[in-house]
Amino acid sequence: MHGPFRWSSKWWPGVIPLVILWAIAAWTNTAPLESELAGQSTAALKDTVLDKTRVAVEGRDVTLAADAFSEQGRRSAVASVETVPGVRLVNDETHLVPEAKPFVWSAERDVVRVTLGGSAPLPASKGKLLEAARASLGGVEVADQMNLARGAPARFDNAALLLIDQIGKLKDGKITISDNKVSLSGMTRDLGGREAIAAALKNLPEGFSVAANDVKAPPYIFQAYKDPVAVTLTLSGYVPDNAVHAAIAAAAARKFFSENVVDNLKASVGAPSGFATAVVPALGALSRLSTGTLVVSDREVKLSGDALYDAAANQIRNGLAKEFPQGFQLKADISVKPPSAPVDATVCQQLFSELLVKGKIRFESGRADIVSDSAGLLDRLIETALRCPNVNIEIAGHTDADGDDASNKTLSEKRAQAVMDYLVKAGLPADRFTAVGYGSAQPVAANDTDEGKAQNRRIEFVVR
Amino acid sequence: MTFLLGFHWGWLLGSFLFGLAAGWVAVVHRGKGVSKVLSRWLAALALALVAAALSRVVPGRPGYWLDLGLVMFACYLAGCMFGSSLRDWVLSRSAPAG
Repeated sequence: MHGPFRWSSKWWPGVIPLVILWAIAAWTNTAPLESELAGQSTAALKDTVLDKTRVAVEGRDVTLAADAFSEQGRRSAVASVETVPGVRLVNDETHLVPEAKPFVWSAERDVVRVTLGGSAPLPASKGKLLEAARASLGGVEVADQMNLARGAPARFDNAALLLIDQIGKLKDGKITISDNKVSLSGMTRDLGGREAIAAALKNLPEGFSVAANDVKAPPYIFQAYKDPVAVTLTLSGYVPDNAVHAAIAAAAARKFFSENVVDNLKASVGAPSGFATAVVPALGALSRLSTGTLVVSDREVKLSGDALYDAAANQIRNGLAKEFPQGFQLKADISVKPPSAPVDATVCQQLFSELLVKGKIRFESGRADIVSDSAGLLDRLIETALRCPNVNIEIAGHTDADGDDASNKTLSEKRAQAVMDYLVKAGLPADRFTAVGYGSAQPVAANDTDEGKAQNRRIEFVVR
Repeated sequence: MTFLLGFHWGWLLGSFLFGLAAGWVAVVHRGKGVSKVLSRWLAALALALVAAALSRVVPGRPGYWLDLGLVMFACYLAGCMFGSSLRDWVLSRSAPAG
């Protein structure tokens, strides 16, 4: 043997301490080397989106287990670990997360918590959705049951964030995205919640559509109670806005001629369409009852109470529903008040006069058509007429002094006749009544003021 | 390889020094050396181990320990060669004078 290997046959004694040195080096270096490589591999994966990443190092071999969200991401994760200096081999145990078909995400609210479930496309979007839910629901527990899956529709995050805002408006319910169809169900917290959610859904990102919106709002309730003892009409519940509020208050004042109107109405959105058109005639029907309650709950109108006589009860039961806009339903529970004790002619006259002082039978201007607001007063007059069956009554029509005498007389006569017809239709015998028109011949006030003229335009009931 | 050298440089230096000492002593060693046949077998074993390391057939920690052992052994051999050459050179310079 030549050259440096000339003495190689005698190099062996150093091998024994070398082996000992090797054993010590292996013993002391394995753990630090492994943790160094693990740290560097983890750092190399920092920019790759992975889920459930596990890096295990044995010697210089790295086992990488992770769920990736695309084939490209999976490959680039393995490649990044392979380029870490010192890594000998990468055992690739990465998988693609499963693809969800259909891609379903849901947010469900019950009394105490909101549960986010289904699939989210990426860990980042999952985190974003949870954070948004916690922020918008302030204080409500948010439970995360979301899995990660591929196959989310484009702009999924924006759609889900918008819907998380909506879940805050629900008391309970569920919102689901299935591919790009959105379904909602449940009960809103506030009266206007359904409208608010419907408005927000118009801002869903392009490509998303609402498959089903079964969100319900608490019933929109309007109540009126006619109390015959306190002589009040109490209005409570909701009206859509101030204009409708004013219209209803004015209608109540016209129809309830003797009652004080106690107005506890509040304005709120969420009224069914045609609300005012249904409430005003229903108040008219209530005004005809001696005592009664009107409850309008969404599109259901419940009227209960005592009518003053049979015909009135029938008219209300059969006539009121026809005045409602489409969709409104009447549930009438009308009984008839037991007839009051008969009275003699003097008391009868007194009762008529008292009634006609409190309220006036009103007609369309210049015509002989009784306006519907007077139905309550007419029912009272009919009830009184029924209490004195043996007296004859003159229905006297009067006008103010405007216009010529002949036409005033004719108008007053026609108006008296209209009242008489109303009474006969209610079941009173025609032969007990005479309709007389006096024109402006018997004024009760001076005709030089509007107030005086209004007092002179009147119908009187005179017991003969 | 660069990583291995950088991470274990202290141990490799140690191996080299062991080799240096063994090589230094080998030149004047009077005892019996390894027979030719045995040294061929040992060389074959070393080659087999190098082949195993390069082909990465030994997994995990044993694989790392093999790599480490071979690199240390290489440093040891380098030390031996350097040590023997150095001693030879020193002896050849001092012999004519003595």
